[in-house]
Amino acid sequence: MSATLFGQSVLSGIFAGSLYALMGLGMSLSWRYLRVINIAHFGLVFLAAYMTYEFAGVRGYSALAVALLLIPLFFVLGVIQQVLILRFNVNEFSSLIVTYGLAIIAEAVIQLIWSADFVRYENRALHGNVEVGTLLLPVADILLVVIAVGLCVATWAAMRFTWLGKALRAGLDNPAIAAAFGVPNQRLLLLVSGFSAALASVAGVFVALLYTLAPSQILSWLGVVFAAVLLGGLGNPLGLLAAGMLIGVSEAITMAITAPSWAPVVPFTILILLLVLWPQRV
Amino acid sequence: MASVTADTPVIPTRSAAARFGVPTTLAVALVLLLLLPALGLPPFFESFLYLLCLWISLATSWTIISGFTGYFSFGHGAFYGVGMYTTANLGASLPILVCLVIAAALAALLSLGMGAVIFRVRRLRGELFALLTLAMTIVVATIVLNTPIDGGPGKYLLGVQLPRIYDNSATTIYLLGACVAIGTLAITYFIQYGRLGRGLFAIADDEDVAEGLGVPSYRYKLIAFAISSAIAGVIGAVHAIFVSYVTVSETFSSTVALFVILMSVIGGMRHWLGPAIGAVFVTTINFVFVSGDSALAARIVIGLALILATLFLPEGVAGFVQKQVHKRRAAASSNTDTAPHALVPAAPVAAAPTATERPILLKGENISLAFRGVQALDGVNFDIRQGEILGLIGPNGSGKSTLINVMNGFYKPDTGRLLFEGHDLAQMPAHRIARLGLARTFQIPRPFPHLSVLDNVMVAAMFGGAAYPQETARRKALETLDFVGLANRAGAFPSELNLHQRKFLELARALVSDARLVMLDEVLAGLTPSEITSAIAMVRRIHGGERTIVFVEHNMRAVMELTDRLIILNQGKLIAEGDPRTVMDDPAVIRAYLGTSDAEG
Amino acid sequence: MRGRDIVGATRRFMLAAGLATSAALAATAFQAQAQAPSGPPIRIGSTLALTGPLAQTGAIHKIVGDLFVAQLNARGGLLGRPVEWVLLDDQSKPDITRTLYERLITVDKVDLIIGPYATAGILSAMAVAQRYNKVLVHSTFGIPKMAAYDRQFPAWPLGIDPEKTMPNDLLDALASIGKTPKSIAIVTSKFPSVQFVAVGAREVAKARGVKEALYLEFEFGTRDFGPIAARVREADPDLLFVGAIGLEGNQLLEALDKLNYKPRNHFYVYPTPGPLATSPLGNDAMATTAFENLPPLNKNPEAAAFAKAFTEAATKAGLPYTEPETQAGASWSMWEILTGAIKATKSLDDKVLADHIKKNGSDTVLGHISFDGQNNYGKNLMRTKQVQQGKWVIIWPKDMITPGYTVQGK
Repeated sequence: MSATLFGQSVLSGIFAGSLYALMGLGMSLSWRYLRVINIAHFGLVFLAAYMTYEFAGVRGYSALAVALLLIPLFFVLGVIQQVLILRFNVNEFSSLIVTYGLAIIAEAVIQLIWSADFVRYENRALHGNVEVGTLLLPVADILLVVIAVGLCVATWAAMRFTWLGKALRAGLDNPAIAAAFGVPNQRLLLLVSGFSAALASVAGVFVALLYTLAPSQILSWLGVVFAAVLLGGLGNPLGLLAAGMLIGVSEAITMAITAPSWAPVVPFTILILLLVLWPQRV
Repeated sequence: MASVTADTPVIPTRSAAARFGVPTTLAVALVLLLLLPALGLPPFFESFLYLLCLWISLATSWTIISGFTGYFSFGHGAFYGVGMYTTANLGASLPILVCLVIAAALAALLSLGMGAVIFRVRRLRGELFALLTLAMTIVVATIVLNTPIDGGPGKYLLGVQLPRIYDNSATTIYLLGACVAIGTLAITYFIQYGRLGRGLFAIADDEDVAEGLGVPSYRYKLIAFAISSAIAGVIGAVHAIFVSYVTVSETFSSTVALFVILMSVIGGMRHWLGPAIGAVFVTTINFVFVSGDSALAARIVIGLALILATLFLPEGVAGFVQKQVHKRRAAASSNTDTAPHALVPAAPVAAAPTATERPILLKGENISLAFRGVQALDGVNFDIRQGEILGLIGPNGSGKSTLINVMNGFYKPDTGRLLFEGHDLAQMPAHRIARLGLARTFQIPRPFPHLSVLDNVMVAAMFGGAAYPQETARRKALETLDFVGLANRAGAFPSELNLHQRKFLELARALVSDARLVMLDEVLAGLTPSEITSAIAMVRRIHGGERTIVFVEHNMRAVMELTDRLIILNQGKLIAEGDPRTVMDDPAVIRAYLGTSDAEG
Repeated sequence: MRGRDIVGATRRFMLAAGLATSAALAATAFQAQAQAPSGPPIRIGSTLALTGPLAQTGAIHKIVGDLFVAQLNARGGLLGRPVEWVLLDDQSKPDITRTLYERLITVDKVDLIIGPYATAGILSAMAVAQRYNKVLVHSTFGIPKMAAYDRQFPAWPLGIDPEKTMPNDLLDALASIGKTPKSIAIVTSKFPSVQFVAVGAREVAKARGVKEALYLEFEFGTRDFGPIAARVREADPDLLFVGAIGLEGNQLLEALDKLNYKPRNHFYVYPTPGPLATSPLGNDAMATTAFENLPPLNKNPEAAAFAKAFTEAATKAGLPYTEPETQAGASWSMWEILTGAIKATKSLDDKVLADHIKKNGSDTVLGHISFDGQNNYGKNLMRTKQVQQGKWVIIWPKDMITPGYTVQGK
């Protein structure tokens, strides 16, 4: 195997891992801070992807403008979902079903509007690639890595260094005491859910940029994103990023050096070994 | 005095009718299901009922490990898949019943292999267990895909020979499914109300406490996982014949894992019948809305149905029913309730504390334990003598609770031995220590939140030193609750008790199994002065002149009143030992308590 | 504004879906002016994957079935009776497919059944049909050697050994312009109905002396094609043979494009036609097809009318790609085979129909389909097509080449 092939495969794994992290970030936050296992997150991702296709692809608005409009819109959607979840006092297990129900509905609505057939958003502006030595870095993927890493790091920093993050973590440890210190818990939770949904819209824009869309793909990301979210540690953006990269890169290298159909074995075996041999670090 | 009085309120136990009624009902249901084909119903109903049986078996089996035990599995598809591929590969050459047995065995082996590794690591519960099982499913699927087990083209089951019972092999599949489903329900029912189930529910609520009360958690989890997986393997083996064409993407799709979870949560995960209710609900709505002209509307209706069912029945159908029953019973019993809790009767005269020349019950030698560089215990040597009340005191962070945790097996000391009747407790898992007759309470009460007060005590009675059989355990538990004054709260849940009552529940759990050494960790903390008085009387009654008690306490009045001897810890070291009055005058002790530094002294 | 657009789109779609059938009915009623059918309807039952992972193709089959039945009734129905299509949604799941076919036969008591969509579902339905001795005409069954029931008839004329004919036709087409590849890279999804074709292609290549530069199998559902693309680029074959189903071809092409690599000659087994034709990367891509709305196939007036009606209905239903091809063609021919046999025999008896179909074959929009070989598979009627200037044209066999076009090869 040549060095180029190896390098190119590692890059490919980094791109894939970035998308896993970007898709998982909102999930990870809502799982940790809201105790909501949000399967509907994937529904939102695809809803955003289809809206990107519709407005940027079919109607020709600027993709950036579409993305900037989707973010606040999805923030509101996320807040609405959380208001319902709080109103009905949904626990962690039940949230799995409620959000699965929402995902089913999202799939049906997408199919109703855009049909079950494949659609593709062609964006020529982000086409092409940058050459680094013998390696090729596609522009769209570079943008993905920058945004994914940027958002993960920013979220991590916000959680760690701002009053907001501290208040959130305090609220998680002891809601009553946090409330006594004036932490408006409910509003914080709504903020997290809105932010998670806004992250879903960003992930959706990239799904539209990089993939052909079909409504039935909504849950096809579930397994691998779940794995990255859990391996990274709930509510841990940097861990998530590392986990996404680990899965993406190890899979890509396996595909480059052996039969690609064996690829899933490697990251998931690594994952099992990590958990069993090194549980305190995960 | 310690007997169940006539006006002991209704205890939420299964009536005799329920105890014999359920197995009978299941048997009758099975006979009816088996006779159904004779009625000549359209075969569609057999097929539909078969699918109900499939999902009932899968969801119910999932609940054994995940609902009962609290280990949330996202890998049920793997065991089901193992079963599918067993028939796909062996069905043509072996009789079907042999295939089913092999499928069960392979699935159970896979889960035992996994469990043997995972269950050793305490952290691997909750989400991490879900992740591990998800990862395992993917690994198994990939192996099947890339080896001759499948290889890629899928397996078409051509030569599977089925016994023809109603002259129709399709009916035979239905009969097999019915047997597996009813069998699964029966197994789950007996697990829930048997020893295993009580242990599993305790593990689900608080694994450490369960282990400390004597539940062999590692073994029980393995057993639960193996039973759960074996059932999934069996029904998978049957289902392979039903679909007749087995492919990797269909078999190992996340649908199976997701569906069993949905069904169990909708029906209720902590009851043997819950998942079956959920399975019937979800499968039926999937079949009611199949009209080709409104396929999408049907999906939306199904999504809404799932959401509404969950919003209005957050604990599932079974959980809702259990709660209603509990409410009704509570209302009924409150009519007969005379006081919030019975007053502790006056203490009998305790045998006067005498000499230190009693035989040694437990001997600690050079116990040391460090956490990340902090020396929590540093070469502690001590004796506990038969029949004494030993006070264990020291400032906050001195190592008292750590020492208790070492003695009951929660922590393994880095060095040292704990000799108890020839056993070294330092090398023993907590549940075996409990079985030897050591019991403890927790400073902050840790009752099993989802078990009634009576069930909380019964777990201790069945798994602790005395290891009573179920019926005896129930009687002993009621007696003990009466003894601590909680008899009229037996049917309540711990969340309905006040702190004082929860502390007494802790006591009841420690006492019910006739422990020979009871370690009381700050039972008085947080109580009002009058409650303290009654609690001191209670401790004296527990002692009864002969039971050995280790008494960890800050309340010096209680310490001086109760203890025969004191040992004092400071910064992990034993700094004094002996008669209470002498020890309390020891300058080292005064320094430790008053915080006067050595330099100043 | 955003919200209104969505609402508008929804409303338009629903209107279109609702009107599509009636519009087609009205249009054909004008032409035919046949006498209205009367009496109890003849009920034909089937399921389709209308939701779930196969829904995108299931939708095509639903459009075709609705069109065909509307047209049939407008022309007087069958045996003077109207025809009713009892359609259920199998959610793309084989076990539900099986149970619903049992429902159709034993509860709804339909007169006849017709096939669902996709190989696994058809196998499930076939087992039920066999138990009740029902005729089962089906489209799009991908593994001919598994179809071992004597009253099943494939409307998709693959021949019994597509794993040989498909790669041979491809190599013949390239050879006809003197571009016989010296090396071949075979990359395939481990999806049952394409994997065996790739394995067959491997043997064909060996037999015809084409050097195998690369053979790879990947998991169905693979998302990251980067490493596979890097290996293809490194192997740099004359011919890239992709055992692709659905979108996998596009995914691989896009991954290759990111490496600035364009395959010289490339073939995909069962790609979704729209995305490949409309993608700028799809140029010269080859695939197999049973039908295209192109001469000589659409010289047949029946075929031309079908193609026109399909495109109209698909446009109204909002499908992004509205050209009829293998799926729509095979689906239409499935209906033609069954209803043709009913007309010819004036019978609804499964045995009579099966005997007639087996003996006579059927004239369909795909050509004359025969059922005289192993597993009722007759002559292979599959054609090789290629994307040229953004649309599919047929390039092989010789008598089917779209006028004005030739094989493009490098």
